[in-house]
Amino acid sequence: MRRFVYDNGLGLFFGTLFLATLVAQAFVGHADFNHGQMAHHGDPVSLGRYVGSSEFVVDVLENWQSEYLQFTLFILATVWLIQRGSPESKEPGNEGGESDKEQKVGSHATERSPRWARVGGLRTKVYSNSLVIVMTTIWIASWAGQAIAGRVAYNAEQLDHQEAALTLGQYLGTSDFWNRTLQNWQSEFLAVGSMAVLAIYLRQRGSPESKPVGAPHASTGVEG
Amino acid sequence: MRALAVALVLAAMAGGCGRDGDRDDVQAVTDRFYAALEAGDGETACAKLSTDTRTELESQEQEACAEAVGSLEVEGGDLTRVQVYVTNAKADLASGESAFLSYTEDGWRLSAVGCQPVGGKPADRPYDCELEA
Repeated sequence: MRRFVYDNGLGLFFGTLFLATLVAQAFVGHADFNHGQMAHHGDPVSLGRYVGSSEFVVDVLENWQSEYLQFTLFILATVWLIQRGSPESKEPGNEGGESDKEQKVGSHATERSPRWARVGGLRTKVYSNSLVIVMTTIWIASWAGQAIAGRVAYNAEQLDHQEAALTLGQYLGTSDFWNRTLQNWQSEFLAVGSMAVLAIYLRQRGSPESKPVGAPHASTGVEG
Repeated sequence: MRALAVALVLAAMAGGCGRDGDRDDVQAVTDRFYAALEAGDGETACAKLSTDTRTELESQEQEACAEAVGSLEVEGGDLTRVQVYVTNAKADLASGESAFLSYTEDGWRLSAVGCQPVGGKPADRPYDCELEA
């Protein structure tokens, strides 16, 4: 058990934080929703009803989709784009998918390489892109979820004002959908861009997200 | 991973339009209101209105709800469609009128009745209602 916790510390730490903050969001979101209910001369709802509603689901998924879009674009962009001096970037000259030898696939794979890296063919091709495939899938699924739940939450507001409800297609053209989407996207792109640039000049000793403290600003693709 | 993607979409849908119980309750409240109106049962009809809607009616007509509700000019009719979104619902009637409902501590209650769409897009402009909270 101790070995498991030690070997999986990073995942467990953020997994625990995620669950704790999701639960906290449920409580705070419930209070906020009921505040709005009272302001609209409505009655408060139970925590269970709120958590099972699209109001909670859309607030969760609009954040998930932007995180996974961030990862998808960052993973792809770092294949081809360089940021000189950043530990987030490959060294200039190494743009692209690199050679099979460098990537240890096919005949260049070792005994300890994942099986799909060794077998070649379609399986190796899929495995070679599995990270982007999974991130993109989660992004699209959570964005679709945001649209579906967001429409329901939007229509609740519509009906509260004696206005007609929208279809999903109509909702996708609303400022509500794109406001939720873009307010999340802008922060994700700012975060990853600023990380790539700040890490050129700033250091965090011991973190693989940073260059070694004494590494030159111009050194690219090195970890601390 | 495909299972996770499907689960995410299903979660969104499950938190969606309204659970089966809600739809049945909305239909029942609306049906009972219009049936009570037709039968001249003002007490029962008023019991299906939200508190704010009753207050508004009494303020408009300057008499108790049970007496005032009979003067509402609404057409009623069979329900053709029920839409439920979180704590708000809309019931469309065969007469072309619609009613709006809210989920209260006492269950679903009518917040607006005798509603007709006004000119332009119904999604952009509130319905014109005979009575609303």
